[in-house]
Amino acid sequence: MNLPGAQKGWSPDMLEFSLIAGILFGLFFALVGMGLNLVFGVMRIVNLAHGDFMMLGAFGAFWAYNLLGWNPLVTIPVQGLAFVLAGMALYYLLVPRLVALKDFEMISLVLFFGLSQTIEALAVLAFGNNPRSIFQPVFGQAPVHFLGRTFPVAWPVSAAVSLFFLILVYFYLYRTRAGYATRAVMASRDEASASGVNVDRISALTFGLGLLLASVAGMLSLFMLGSVSPDFGGNITITAFAVIVFGGLGDPVGTVLGGLLYGIGLMVMESYLSSWANILPYVLLLATLLVKPGGIMGKEVRHV
Amino acid sequence: MFRKPLDLGLVVLIPVLFALAPLAYNNQLLLFNAMVFLALAQGINIIYGFTGYLPFGYVGFFGAGAYGASLTVMFLHLPAPVAVLLGGLTALALGLVLSPLLRLSGVYFAIASLAASEAVYYVIANPGLVNITKGPYGVSLDRVYSPEFSYLVMAVIVGLVTAVVVYLKRSHLGLSLKAVRDDPLSSETAGIDVKRQRMLAWSWSALFAGLTGAVFAWQISVFYPGTVFDPSISIFAIVFTLFGGAGTVLGPILGTVVLYGVYNLIGITEPQYFQLIYGVLIMVLVLFLPEGIVSLLKRGGANVL
Amino acid sequence: MFMFRSRRRLPVILAVVTALVLVAVLAGCGTSGSTASSVPSQITIGTLYAQSGAFATASMGEYQGLQFWANQVNKNGGVLVKAYNKKIPVKIIAYNDNSDTATAGNLYNQLITQNKVNMLVADFGSVLTSVAVPIAKEHKVLLYDPTGTGASFFTPDNPYLVLTSLPSSGIWPTSLANFLLEKKIGKIAVVYASNDFDQSQAKTLKSILAGGGVTPVYYQAVPTSTKNYGVILSDIAAKKPDAVIEFGYDTNDIAFLQGIRNGGYKFNMVFTVFPGQQLALIDKAVGNAGVAYTYSYPTPPLFGYNNVNYGLGLNAFVKTYEAANNVKNVNFLNIAGYTAGLVIQKSLENAASLKAKDLRAAVNTFSGSMNTLDGAFKIDPATGAQEGELLPVAQFQPSGGTLKPVIVYPANLATGKAVYPAP
Repeated sequence: MNLPGAQKGWSPDMLEFSLIAGILFGLFFALVGMGLNLVFGVMRIVNLAHGDFMMLGAFGAFWAYNLLGWNPLVTIPVQGLAFVLAGMALYYLLVPRLVALKDFEMISLVLFFGLSQTIEALAVLAFGNNPRSIFQPVFGQAPVHFLGRTFPVAWPVSAAVSLFFLILVYFYLYRTRAGYATRAVMASRDEASASGVNVDRISALTFGLGLLLASVAGMLSLFMLGSVSPDFGGNITITAFAVIVFGGLGDPVGTVLGGLLYGIGLMVMESYLSSWANILPYVLLLATLLVKPGGIMGKEVRHV
Repeated sequence: MFRKPLDLGLVVLIPVLFALAPLAYNNQLLLFNAMVFLALAQGINIIYGFTGYLPFGYVGFFGAGAYGASLTVMFLHLPAPVAVLLGGLTALALGLVLSPLLRLSGVYFAIASLAASEAVYYVIANPGLVNITKGPYGVSLDRVYSPEFSYLVMAVIVGLVTAVVVYLKRSHLGLSLKAVRDDPLSSETAGIDVKRQRMLAWSWSALFAGLTGAVFAWQISVFYPGTVFDPSISIFAIVFTLFGGAGTVLGPILGTVVLYGVYNLIGITEPQYFQLIYGVLIMVLVLFLPEGIVSLLKRGGANVL
Repeated sequence: MFMFRSRRRLPVILAVVTALVLVAVLAGCGTSGSTASSVPSQITIGTLYAQSGAFATASMGEYQGLQFWANQVNKNGGVLVKAYNKKIPVKIIAYNDNSDTATAGNLYNQLITQNKVNMLVADFGSVLTSVAVPIAKEHKVLLYDPTGTGASFFTPDNPYLVLTSLPSSGIWPTSLANFLLEKKIGKIAVVYASNDFDQSQAKTLKSILAGGGVTPVYYQAVPTSTKNYGVILSDIAAKKPDAVIEFGYDTNDIAFLQGIRNGGYKFNMVFTVFPGQQLALIDKAVGNAGVAYTYSYPTPPLFGYNNVNYGLGLNAFVKTYEAANNVKNVNFLNIAGYTAGLVIQKSLENAASLKAKDLRAAVNTFSGSMNTLDGAFKIDPATGAQEGELLPVAQFQPSGGTLKPVIVYPANLATGKAVYPAP
């Protein structure tokens, strides 16, 4: 603890708080990464606009609350459906064209980078640049007491919503026919295609699902991350990417583990080394790519 | 190395034009910033145009150069031109530290480079390091402030980076780099030392971003870490390069002159549309005109350098 | 460089490229600029505003205040300019920098070199002012700086800068520190955003408290981008402080007050910076209950100075401004922009010529004797830093469903007693 900016004093109390908060945040970060990872797993595309879709989800919930008086929990299914449809439309518009190209991974990366810039610019024009947030009392007035510590009520609520959607993804992948086909495409696009899976439809569905998860995670960001502004997307995309690389690219279970470890790491750093907490996602991403590129439980991504 | 008189003409002409431009038009800072983006676009060109590796975090070298030079001035009290050189070397050193990123494939490299630039930014801006970097509170170089001199040094750097791109374009090195970009596996079997070649392009690219950042710091003299690590600096340089055409000498020049010209034309009154225009431009270019506008000239029968 | 088959075309092509470069660069700028005749037809004031970006809200408010001043004087035929002994209208030439420093640099330069303005007014805050300081000095143009309080700008070797409205941030917490000492509040937690505006306040507070024998039980910097103070608040609460002082920008203050409310924390005293400047904004984001009984530095219009001898008084300003702009909720930044205009006006009334050095010398002549609705205007004659008014301390006390700022320190300005500890 000799780093400049380190908090003096070490209390086990603070550690306990950090661990519990870390698990709550970890579930949220797992949800943040999940949408990105499903899209990557099925299409080998890094959706650099993932954070921008989260931002749109957050603004959707914000306006639904302010204009229509909708509780964000009510907004989830309505907005989620819209995002699934938008995602499928976007897939058919962009991706089949890309897959045909020679250097498609790189081109799609640049394309989605452009998309991310475009969404952010449109959001600035539409919503202005002020950060937006929703009163947390929307989830109930009193803070939650747990093991002698006080937590804002929105944290456990957000963690519960995240957990619900993570379980939903699990059921989809392991208990439904479409999910089975999705895992087949993740394992090998060609083999899945050869064995009669409609790869295009599965991919479109996955893209829609990815956007749905982004919209939910974006809504929760209003509470977990404080507020959301149009330029919110860039950093959270990198954080999401760090989580899924750490957990293993294309591996949904790894993402949950990656999210939890990231959440705990972040909260511990905020307690004991708060001025260095910002740097965590970037260092985690670099270290994982360079030292153990497969993630804590994944496969190789290097070449040459 | 310069096989055609034209090459030499180009390398000399551009800096001379810029050096003389303030006589005709006296918003010198705007001209200076145009040179900054021209140099950065050519720097991106060196690594992306010739190896296919696109560094989203290119601004990391720019900021490293700016801080390398500033610390030299503040702590070593050396003259500004020496500080610029050391700024360039700082970025080069950062490039060497980050060289393991080149082991990654293109997509991971692009994102990892972005993460690296953010990491460097957060280290430099950290309040814990206030005694070394001044943390988030910004740097002041008013002791060496000299807009005229730094302007001319920037013109020289533009000439140098153009020379390097012309050299790459003309030399065996450039050809083999492009072979590596287009097909790394078979070029390796054809006896090209892929890693070494990439490393070389990466180092040049880092060095020029660092030199540019250093002169930028010298020119503006008061700045915050967020100013020199602003991700939109990378975005501008990437858009200029893509728009003009990567892998050519002329492309980034055309891209910078046209887009930065338009940026200032519209930008002075309505800059809020720029991010939108650039975002859409990136998507359109990568889908429909991946070789940039110089490819239109090529199609028109011109022999483009 | 592209070559057609024939080499003889080369000079033509070079000429085309040359022209392209020049045209693009020149076209980028357009030219205007007033010709210097014996008596100018108008006084041009260059300024920037941020229509989007981090500083948009504050910057637009300040810009509107300056515009309001210009409209007011032009209604009366302009400003009396001593150098020509006649009234001359003022014209504001303004560009949008979108909160971006690189753009701002280009544009300040544009104002000086192309529009050839007589004087500059900086955009809001230290970040956007920082780029203007060396440019104004280099071109020998006087920079009127409403709110860029960064301590590093004000040096004796720069005679081209005047801070018009707020004192430099380093002296802001003087009253606050004395209030804490007088109340004998011993357990104090300080958290500040790491930028020079907030850091300078934290440092000053710490050193004055040290003078009174008090050491904060918690003293921590957080990144200015912090939007969630959950963990930090939990740590602060563990130290059981009586007073919690948070120095930040408006987004930090909002997040901090929200964090206290959401976490259900109770402290005897909570202080933040921006409710005193932008009460409506903070109140909307945090809610009445989140701001009630907290403390801040109040700025006009939350309270008024009643010894105004130059420009409109507070009530007249609020009334005229609201009518002219068809708005409610005048905020401090409108007043800051307006005050910058007043200082310009008074410089022109006193300066022997329009040259920056004469304008600056004129400012020194009335510094200390000019009282506006923003308080006494008094600068350090060498550096141009403002030292006129010590910011008081106010508590927002609920009264009839709204929040009333009650000044609790210093005694000569006080309008009521602090409710301490907060209920």
